[in-house]
Amino acid sequence: MSWDNELLERAHKIIELYPQKRSALGPLLYLAQEKDGFISDDSIVEISNLVDITEVQVKSVSSFYSMYKEEQTGTYLLSVCKSISCEINDSRSVINSVKEFTGLENYETDQDKLFTFEEVECIGACGGAPAVQVNYETVEGLTPEKTIEMCEWLKNDKPEIIVADQLQNKFGGTKSFDWAIEDNTGSAYTVPGFQNIGTAKEKDN
Amino acid sequence: MSDQININVNGSEIRTDSDQLIIEACEDSGIHIPRFCWHKRMDPVGMCRMCLVEIETPRGKALVPSCTTKVSEDLIVDTESEVVKKAQEGVLEFLLINHPLDCPVCDKAGECPLQDQTMAYGPGESRFVEDKRHFEKPIPISEIILLDRERCILCARCTRFSDEISGDPLIEFIQRGNKTQVNTFPDEPFRSYFSGNTVQICPVGALTSTSYRFKARPWDLKKVSSTSNCSSMGCSVELNVSQNKMLRILGEDNEFTNQGWLSDKGRYNFEYLHSENRILKPVLNNDSTNEISINESMELISNEISADDNSNISFIVGHNSTNEEYYALNNFVENLNKVNKDQNMNVYLSDDYLYEGFFQNNDLLGKVQDLDSVDTIILWAQDIKDNLPTLYLRIRQAVKNGKKLVIFGHTNTAMKELADSYFGQEIISKNLEFNVEISEIPNFNELINDKNVLAIIGKSSPIQNTNSISNLINYLDKNSNLKILNCFSKGNTFGALQNIDLVKGLNEFINEFDGSKNNIVFTIGSNPVNSSIHSNQIKDKLINANFVISLDLFKNETTELANIILPTTSFGEKEGTFTNLEMRTLKQNKILPTPGSVLNEWEYWSMMLNKIDIENNYESEFELNLQLCEEYLDKDNVPSFDNLNKPSNLDGVLNSKSINIEIQNVEPEKIEILFVNRLYGDSSTQINSPSISMLGAERFIEMNNDTFIKHNLSSYTVNLVQGVSTLQVKIKINNHLPNELIIAPLNRRGFRDIDTTKPYELIEVKNLEELSVN
Ligand code: SF4
Ligand code: FES
Ligand code: FES
Repeated sequence: MSWDNELLERAHKIIELYPQKRSALGPLLYLAQEKDGFISDDSIVEISNLVDITEVQVKSVSSFYSMYKEEQTGTYLLSVCKSISCEINDSRSVINSVKEFTGLENYETDQDKLFTFEEVECIGACGGAPAVQVNYETVEGLTPEKTIEMCEWLKNDKPEIIVADQLQNKFGGTKSFDWAIEDNTGSAYTVPGFQNIGTAKEKDN
Repeated sequence: MSDQININVNGSEIRTDSDQLIIEACEDSGIHIPRFCWHKRMDPVGMCRMCLVEIETPRGKALVPSCTTKVSEDLIVDTESEVVKKAQEGVLEFLLINHPLDCPVCDKAGECPLQDQTMAYGPGESRFVEDKRHFEKPIPISEIILLDRERCILCARCTRFSDEISGDPLIEFIQRGNKTQVNTFPDEPFRSYFSGNTVQICPVGALTSTSYRFKARPWDLKKVSSTSNCSSMGCSVELNVSQNKMLRILGEDNEFTNQGWLSDKGRYNFEYLHSENRILKPVLNNDSTNEISINESMELISNEISADDNSNISFIVGHNSTNEEYYALNNFVENLNKVNKDQNMNVYLSDDYLYEGFFQNNDLLGKVQDLDSVDTIILWAQDIKDNLPTLYLRIRQAVKNGKKLVIFGHTNTAMKELADSYFGQEIISKNLEFNVEISEIPNFNELINDKNVLAIIGKSSPIQNTNSISNLINYLDKNSNLKILNCFSKGNTFGALQNIDLVKGLNEFINEFDGSKNNIVFTIGSNPVNSSIHSNQIKDKLINANFVISLDLFKNETTELANIILPTTSFGEKEGTFTNLEMRTLKQNKILPTPGSVLNEWEYWSMMLNKIDIENNYESEFELNLQLCEEYLDKDNVPSFDNLNKPSNLDGVLNSKSINIEIQNVEPEKIEILFVNRLYGDSSTQINSPSISMLGAERFIEMNNDTFIKHNLSSYTVNLVQGVSTLQVKIKINNHLPNELIIAPLNRRGFRDIDTTKPYELIEVKNLEELSVN
């Protein structure tokens, strides 16, 4: 058994949320990714037993969606938007700055397993283009300089939890719109922070 | 029955069922719409868009996929308009973007829907100049199936089959977009009893089978329809032969039986026909150097029969003979009896699962088709998935369509997920008897009371007191509208029952064997020394017998004890009829020449009669068939060759004869090890078919986890020890089994020395070296 009791307990709680076991597949894959930084074959076997479908059916889903990673990711997943709104707001130079700083090409992870870089399609932050996500926490209105600053901060401070608001305050520019509520929760893994499946973490300061 | 409506296709009126799809309605009226993904036995998905047609809608003409659009009153359909043609060209051009042009080395070429439809509907030219995607050329996805992902056009027929029809989705689409591919999970091969069907329905050469790869070109194949011997379902098949060699068996769509599907055993168990191990000449005393002529052998046998007026003559028959051959044997027995009333003659069927069954009332006999119309299906028999695999598919289908399934006992654990009610150890004891009153079984009465019920009933274990089965049938008969499907699973068992006046079982053979008499034993296409739980006793009797004659294809444990081995024809080499478990008689056809100096079984019977100076009254299968047809109860629709060859009767003819089985019920005994027959085993035909010979090699037992813990085991490889016999086996955990009951495969090497009623021990294999010895 590759999943420890704590993880299994979380999995069972998630499964209980749905009328059919197999509906829990998506969130369980996030748990798997939280555990290893990617969806391992061991986790697939585990999930297939948990939700009563075959391994290859799990694999079919996990390999379809690009947010389920098939390979090990770094601590910080940098997803830079390359879609139209960002593109016309010069996302190219943001992309280049990340590439330059990390030395990575698309979908690569550095040797220290610190950064994984990917160019992604629209992340729903067009109003604040160009936008970037760090572990799926969004920061908007970036400039190449600010982007490099952000990467440096990540590299030096190694924050345990990434929180969108904090990123925005430190490095962001124009926002699409103001949420008005301060949000202190963020993500601690290369998985979106969802409270109901326990991948979201609260930042204490 | 749904309403009939009118639609208009290409300017002509068509009458059709109101719930049909456009593609079906057109097909039924002879208008072919090209397609890749749609298959009439599976749910439509609309994946490939090859079937686009134009229909009139309130907002003008629209292109719709005809495989997902239902007909409606006065619908106007155009399957040949310019727009449709353009769409078809476009779809094909897209499909060919990534499809390799390796037709010259592709097995499918010549019968490939992609090739054919490109010729018929394609654009003729491609505008694609970029690189095609590439994958490693064929990868094995199981021991018998290979997958060439480059050729795949992503129609999802194979993946849907494995999910929808066979229920073992071990292949799926992996990845997305340009990278999409069919594949298995690493280390989890496509080990399905039905995997070969995907090869047959794949519209391109992406899925191929090891047995047929590079063997022939479709245009070189000679083809004939026939009926499979694989189980008593009598699946309709097409035999493909080239240069006098059977190269392939395909499933044919028989509405009443297999509906196009086959098990892999039925599909791939044919290479033995051309095995060099086949016996081609009569052999004396099991000594290959001692071949004799047919005439000599007949002489010897008839002398033996005539020598003693007071001898016992026993016939142990298998299940691969045709009705005509069983009839000829019966005729032989009858005729001998007439001349010599003192000779004691008996026919025994080599099947441990034989018992008296329920044949008294013909009105109660059910049909496979009843699965689709009853309310409740009751199943208490041997493992259906392993022994009647295509019946298993039909049951799955029925359950999917809302029929309630009730399973009793411990053999059909593989179907537990399908069942509404599964009555395991609380209701059924380890000895396969009721623990409770039938009327007290929780939630049972509402499933059967005044309902239409089909009971699929047979023995679950070779040794089983059948009173409980009878009680269940009585109870069902009283409380429901009952039909019964007698579940004897092997080959042409029902043909034997219909055409032999009195059939007994192997236990009777042992009990009736009188060592003080002169004993002559015929074994006919049966290997009781290797295929029965009574094997050891039978062996003793055969050693004891004065003269043993074996009619068989191969040398085996039984022929070893024979004084004379007579080589016989096999499936595909003989013409005849076959009766399936619902008394449907179907035609088996000859397409291969008779090898060596091999004869049909009936020819031997006829020659022996002649030698003993008894006039016989038939000279061909044809005449035998006419004679046996006279005994059918319904005189108007008999399964004569002529009648069965009529186009309207290609699906077979239902008709009954009186059936007499005499089997003594056994005393209830304590079952310690429950024997089941697995689909793959060590039969001579399978062992001599290289593509599938290894599939029956694994030796394993099943038990539930509590039993595993109780036995204090730490590894899954153990020695099964009983008295002096020790057998190294793997343990598989099956939590649907009752406590303290283990299940073992009867048809795997080594298990025949194990006694089902005696206690056993499981001892850990300590030494790692021991582990590697198989
Ligand atoms: S392998 Fe054949 S049947 Fe399966 S999806 Fe590809 S083309 Fe269709
Ligand atoms: S285009 Fe970049 S966020 Fe929408
Ligand atoms: S056959 Fe209709 S979409 Fe494939």
